[in-house]
Amino acid sequence: MKQAFFLNRFILVLLSGIAILSACKKNDPNPVPESEKVEVTTAVLLLVPDGKGQNASATWRDLDGPGGQDPVMENLILKANTTYRGTLKFLNESNQNALEDLTVKIRNTGHDREVFYVVDGASLTFTKTDLDRNNRPLGLETSATTTSPGAGSLRVVLKHQPGLKRGNSTIDTGETDVDMVFPVVIQD
Amino acid sequence: MFHITIAGKNLLFLPLLLLFIQPVAAQDMYIIPETELEQDCGLTLSGKVIDHDTREPLIGATVLIEELQKAVVTDEYGNYHFHNLCRASYSVKTTYIGYEEIRSSFRLSSSAVRNMALHIDARTFGAVEVVGGRMVRQAQTTETLAGRELEETRGLSLGESLKKLSGVSSVQTGPTVSKPVIHGLFGNRVLILNNGVRHESQQWGNEHAPEIDPLNAQELKVVKGAAGVRYGSDAIGGIVMVNPKPLPDSTGVSGELNLIGSTNNRMGAVAGMAEGKLQQLPLSWRLHTSLKKAGSAQAPTYNLNNTGFEEQNLAATLGYRQQKFGAELYYSYFHTKLGFLSSAHIGNLTDLANAIGREQPEEAGSFTYTIARPYQDVTHHLLKARGYYKTGDLGELQFTYGLQENRRQEYDRHRNTGDSPQLDLDLQTHTTELVWEHEPVSNISGSMGVSTIWQNNTYTPNTRALLPFFKSLTVGAFISEKWRKDNLQLEAGIRYDQKSLDVQRWGNSRELLKPAYTFHNLSGSFGALYDLGYHVSLSGHIGYASRAPHAYELFAQGLHNSAATYEEGNPNLVSEEALNTMATFTYHSNLRLNGELSLYYNTINDYIYLQLAPEYVLGVQGAFLKARYRQADARFWGADLTADYAFTNRLTLNNKTSLVYAVNRETGNYLPFITPSRTDNTLRYSFENRESSKFSDRYLAVGGLYVARQSRSDEQSDPVLPAPDAYFLLHAELGTSLSLGRQQLELGLVGNNLLNTSYRDYQNRLRYFANEMGRMLLFRVKILL
Repeated sequence: MKQAFFLNRFILVLLSGIAILSACKKNDPNPVPESEKVEVTTAVLLLVPDGKGQNASATWRDLDGPGGQDPVMENLILKANTTYRGTLKFLNESNQNALEDLTVKIRNTGHDREVFYVVDGASLTFTKTDLDRNNRPLGLETSATTTSPGAGSLRVVLKHQPGLKRGNSTIDTGETDVDMVFPVVIQD
Repeated sequence: MFHITIAGKNLLFLPLLLLFIQPVAAQDMYIIPETELEQDCGLTLSGKVIDHDTREPLIGATVLIEELQKAVVTDEYGNYHFHNLCRASYSVKTTYIGYEEIRSSFRLSSSAVRNMALHIDARTFGAVEVVGGRMVRQAQTTETLAGRELEETRGLSLGESLKKLSGVSSVQTGPTVSKPVIHGLFGNRVLILNNGVRHESQQWGNEHAPEIDPLNAQELKVVKGAAGVRYGSDAIGGIVMVNPKPLPDSTGVSGELNLIGSTNNRMGAVAGMAEGKLQQLPLSWRLHTSLKKAGSAQAPTYNLNNTGFEEQNLAATLGYRQQKFGAELYYSYFHTKLGFLSSAHIGNLTDLANAIGREQPEEAGSFTYTIARPYQDVTHHLLKARGYYKTGDLGELQFTYGLQENRRQEYDRHRNTGDSPQLDLDLQTHTTELVWEHEPVSNISGSMGVSTIWQNNTYTPNTRALLPFFKSLTVGAFISEKWRKDNLQLEAGIRYDQKSLDVQRWGNSRELLKPAYTFHNLSGSFGALYDLGYHVSLSGHIGYASRAPHAYELFAQGLHNSAATYEEGNPNLVSEEALNTMATFTYHSNLRLNGELSLYYNTINDYIYLQLAPEYVLGVQGAFLKARYRQADARFWGADLTADYAFTNRLTLNNKTSLVYAVNRETGNYLPFITPSRTDNTLRYSFENRESSKFSDRYLAVGGLYVARQSRSDEQSDPVLPAPDAYFLLHAELGTSLSLGRQQLELGLVGNNLLNTSYRDYQNRLRYFANEMGRMLLFRVKILL
């Protein structure tokens, strides 16, 4: 008798286990599409010539982070033998309803950050004209000068250098926040 | 290992029984009385103790030489051995519960073999019943870390502790994360049983350490090779069992307090345990808790920035035990927060190249207990309910239910997203298991059962969808039987699992996809164990296991910051199948040399691994390496050796060596991340116990671990950085028991990397960035209450 009683208990426990299992299957939430807060999605480089001439600008955009949709980048079309005043803007466009300009935030924490410009192929040089609060170069504002016509590329790199930024910090210091390449065409 | 119930009123037998059984449980053949006289005359007396009528061996019988007051207990074949006997006349008394004792006298002039046949004692038979598992030996190679060797690992993580066993290494991510590797296989291929329940967490990640507190364990047991039959077909590499102490079976309350401290990362740990049994009811209980906190680890010449950790654990057990049935309720809580080497969390490929090029990490910082980003915060709950019911004389029915919740939060290095984690996964698992273990019926014993695993994985909105939402249900059934006669034991088992996996994920154009899979997995095993006399046994084992791909391997999608790698799953993966052959030769119970050698050969079809792709993935941060899950036929083979040589009764040399080879059978290339050859040799001296001294069981051990360079590595297997050089580490251990009045203490000191060697380990994922930890001294005090 006693045996039968405990056997019953056993089956009861077993059944309740199965009940718990099946209960868990109901009312589950669906996954929410990923919108991981990618800080910078977009960079806009605007070059305004000293004196006469046309403004040049190029945008680099990757809204969904690495993987998924490929990034989209525009050509930077410049005029030969011209000096431009350059302004670099960083945006977060991952939420179309709340576009966010991150440039101010980057400038305010500029003592830990620096932008580097690396030109390959084209005859184009960049000089940083702005300084952080420690009087070290920042690179959001520049002066860009072209000489002969040609084509090449411009790599814009924003480094995060927490506690590492010195007067002589290089592109190899710290961690990369942004690293994007624009095709460059210099016309006559 | 032994469960004893006394059916009648012969409770007087209980202490006697324990005396018989404990030495076997401790795997120690001898009860050496303190008064034992040193003698070295070199003769051996051995033989078998058998039942006179059935000729069955009697396991756990006591053989006593009365003149010497020297006793041994028979092993699982009924064998006994005495060494170091002088030429003399001896009277030998053989006793076994339920049998009449026999005395025989003879003159020993040379080493001799004597079998003792006992008759059943009609008066006591039936009064005593030995139930449950015997000291079962399997054909499959197993190794156990317990007792003093386990004590020496107190304060280390589970993965680091298991490295003490030959054939087991670990995959590390910096000094804080360590995952066990068995014969070159790890992650989802190594099943971890925490107190008898399959540990279910995000095991696919190499930087996800098992969420288990080894301080609560009394033994760590490793089953090597494909062992899918009993606990699930995915155990291709083997099983790690973390077993707490059984609940107390005598009334009263007792406890212990462990205090652990270390140099280097200045870790402090406190572990407390209290247990007891009620007088009126057959109820026992135990509470165990531990707290650990450590600061940043130190490489020999610099600080490893942000490598501190903290851990809080709690475990509570309540047991109800009667003759016919019993139940146990167990709950454990594990929480850890662990920092990651900050300079190993990098932006893109250029950063990776820069980090590799540096002599030491860019940010060294200084020692601190503060844990900053990047870090992990992981919580694991386990609730287990287990019941057993004895089905008459036939066996025992057992039911186990387990509920686990694993919450893993990972905080990236610097994202201005407030305090929220970038990865936040929640995995819930319900496991049930119903097993019937039956008693020997015409030499056949074994078990059969059914089990289910139900899982639900989700992530918090607005965090990385590295692993998609999924639900899976696995239903399995198994039968495993063992046949034993005389010196031969044969065992065979088979298991079938059906796993259904329902995934919900977002496609590239933001549409909800619901891929569903069903996997059918078969496991099987066949083993033979042959006792070749009193000192040698041979065993062979063939295991087959097939593992369904994990949701991560199918649908991973995202950045792995510490490797600058964008990992991508492969939805077309099929189950991988392993056929594992192993042969083990054991030379045991000898005076000087004892050891075990096992050889294995493991063929894995459709082995799933992460292969770096030639193309890059572009993002705002620049270029990343791309790695995809792939399948190839692979072959693993190797050998494990454990050997002891006793120079004297007090001085012993211990050797542990393991070799692993692995190739991709399709291309002939090496597989990445395989354990390099390693050998550890330790010389141990045990001091004599003196009656007058407060100290007892003192020992001192000094050893060296040599790990070879992974020469089976090339540009294809390790494209980022070649394998690091070989290294040698010196270690030492010393320990003693101390009695201060009536208070018993155990003290120990362990020193690792005593020469403060700078080195990098091939299986540490942070080998690209920083050296391993330097010298570390671990102190421990155990206070018995």
